[in-house]
Amino acid sequence: MDMVSALSEARKERFAWAGFTPARRREALYGFLFISPWLIGFLIFYLFPMIASIIFSFMSFELSKPDEAMFIGLTNWTLLFDDSTLIQSLQVTFVFAIISLPIGLISAFLLAVLLNSSQLMGRNLFRTLFYAPTMIPLIASVLIWAQVLNPSDGWVNRAIEVFGFDARGTDGLRWLNDPSRPGLVWIAYTFIGLWGIGNAMLINLSALQGVPSDLYDSARVDGATWWRRLLAITVPMVSPVIFYNLVLGVIGLLQYFIVPWVLTGGSGDPNGYTMFYMVHFFKQGFIFQKMGYGATLAWLMFFIALVITIFLFVTARYWVFYSGELDS
Amino acid sequence: MLRKRSMVITSITAVLLALSLGIVSAQERVQIRWFVGLGAGTDAPQIEAQEAVVEEFNNSQDRIELVLEIVDNEQAPGVLSTQIAAGNAPDIVGPVGILGRSQFPGAWLDLSELLTETNYDLSDFDQDLVEFYDIEGEGQIGLPFAIFPSFLIYNVDLFDEAGIPYPPRNYGDPYVDWDGVEREWNFDTLREIAMILTVDSNGNDATMEEFNPDDIVQFGFAPQWTDYRGRLSLFGAGNFVDEEGNAVLPDHWRDGLYWYQQAMWEDYFIPNGVYGGADFMGGGNWFESGNLAMVHIHLWYLPCCTWGLADVEYQLAPVPSYNGVTTAKMHGDTFSIMNTTEHPEEAFEVLTYLIGDKAEELATLYGGMPARLSLQDTYFDTISQNDPIAGRDLHWDIVVAGMSYTDNPSHEGPLPNLREAEDVYNTWSGNLDNDPNFDLDTEIPRLLDSLQQVYDQSN
Repeated sequence: MDMVSALSEARKERFAWAGFTPARRREALYGFLFISPWLIGFLIFYLFPMIASIIFSFMSFELSKPDEAMFIGLTNWTLLFDDSTLIQSLQVTFVFAIISLPIGLISAFLLAVLLNSSQLMGRNLFRTLFYAPTMIPLIASVLIWAQVLNPSDGWVNRAIEVFGFDARGTDGLRWLNDPSRPGLVWIAYTFIGLWGIGNAMLINLSALQGVPSDLYDSARVDGATWWRRLLAITVPMVSPVIFYNLVLGVIGLLQYFIVPWVLTGGSGDPNGYTMFYMVHFFKQGFIFQKMGYGATLAWLMFFIALVITIFLFVTARYWVFYSGELDS
Repeated sequence: MLRKRSMVITSITAVLLALSLGIVSAQERVQIRWFVGLGAGTDAPQIEAQEAVVEEFNNSQDRIELVLEIVDNEQAPGVLSTQIAAGNAPDIVGPVGILGRSQFPGAWLDLSELLTETNYDLSDFDQDLVEFYDIEGEGQIGLPFAIFPSFLIYNVDLFDEAGIPYPPRNYGDPYVDWDGVEREWNFDTLREIAMILTVDSNGNDATMEEFNPDDIVQFGFAPQWTDYRGRLSLFGAGNFVDEEGNAVLPDHWRDGLYWYQQAMWEDYFIPNGVYGGADFMGGGNWFESGNLAMVHIHLWYLPCCTWGLADVEYQLAPVPSYNGVTTAKMHGDTFSIMNTTEHPEEAFEVLTYLIGDKAEELATLYGGMPARLSLQDTYFDTISQNDPIAGRDLHWDIVVAGMSYTDNPSHEGPLPNLREAEDVYNTWSGNLDNDPNFDLDTEIPRLLDSLQQVYDQSN
């Protein structure tokens, strides 16, 4: 080491230590102290379980027989290729996502546009009403929906019959348990999901309120129609929020569990059309108590979610518009 | 000054002494944890009564501290598994039925040694019932506590409305029909009267051509809250596995499957998947809705789940026979000690207290008939005084007589890889309940293949 670089190193070291005055040290200590609940919580409830689940994925481990746990190498991972229910659950999850995700995102966005309109009377009332269902515990609302969509005496089928259609009975609209029409149960589940779009609607609404009004004024002067303004101004301006909702929606659908579990108890009825990935995972891990294989399924889902999320972020550069980037 | 200081020192010493004595006293008591959740005992009134039992036990002696842990039925298997995995298993579990216990094979303490050591008196139990809990490879994993025979309950008002005679009064009696003709009380007879009792919104019954199966408002018969092993046991005892571990479907169960399919999708007198969860059918508690004429159910149903029938007259009846054989499936509850307990003697003392001194009180609380022969005579007098069945003159002798027709092997008996095997046949039967075009000829072999795969995984 020559003289200059040695001096530079010594200065670096001195300045580094100089940064930690007693006051800064105290400040750092308080900082750690204040975030310690989160750090401890993260370590205990996230990091350690994640590490444990990686280890479990290489083990045969049944909860009620901990003494019989043993290392089995890659057996759980190779088992993924022989698990026919896994393939089925992935198919169900992705097909449902393709149906449900666009409907949920577009509904939340259009509802926000509607509730942002200056021509709508009682906007605050409607905003409250559309958000209110989000406050109801999901399990309670799912149980209510089960009755509302009941094929024999549910309100939906009774309402449809008012218009002269034959909706009840074996050949009627059996929303939740028709084994011959898989699309029906997925539509019903999507419908139930719409009950909870209040959050996405609210986020869209706040984004819409942040779009500068002078852009719309300029567009009006140029003769742009409402539809044109929506596509050329509103959508690009709120695209970061749409992207945010999209990412959350995809992850939420990959973790879709409560609705099918409450309605079917994990049976996959009708005919396996509600055997979502998380239902399969839960049954393997917590009903059949195969914690090793359950952990493997959890990690597989993690990798799937990771790949999809990376894909979304990569494609985002082509359609998500960040106005701040132009300023800089 | 000196006096004041000595007073302070004395006071501190006294406090420390009291505290240390308290600690010593607390340490002397062995803690025994009683886990409730795999069977009855999780309803609010039952919780209160169990807490009183615990308090009474703790006040009655100073060596054992009994601690009650109540977990919701849905969560209980998972919670218990987690406790076992964490090395934090409870000492006693119960009341637990055959199925609940089968979910934890090898987890229970063999009581044989404790029974011998304490010279425990088993003469008050039916010997067959004691042996029922002597499991091959596991030993005596429990003692008889409460039994729940099954029977039919029929809605008297609906029979009166239809103008047809009630089911027979006793096991072995024929059914005397509306023309005064005596018929054997079997599943053919039951089918016929159940169809008459199945009614659409226009008042047509299921035997009429005008009957509309898409608008049914009242059903004739149903086995309630049981899976297909329970349903099929009405056609004779059996299981989905033979002694060699092969997946099988006994012939009488095969007949039973076709009978149920016809009952749901052709005769319509049993609620199928379209009607199962309907509001007018009580959202699942079909008989309590008042729109089901006959139900097959266990004794525990009466005290727990008939509160909505206050204005409805109902009565008990014998289970019909199939091919001349009557089978009235049975549930039996016990308390078991986990083999991980560090205090087997103390746990056994608590167990014998629960199935001894408190047997009558707890059995009544859970709606079961005490397994102790000495308590059975007064049981029905006691249970008849409690709501929701107080004041009813029910044919309790039907319940007692049903014990002679129990299912052996039990419909809740073990299967290889039990949880997954249950999932396989429940998923399969879900399709039978929901799909009018379910082809049993094709699907039965598929069921057996699926079960065999699950069984093979257990080896």
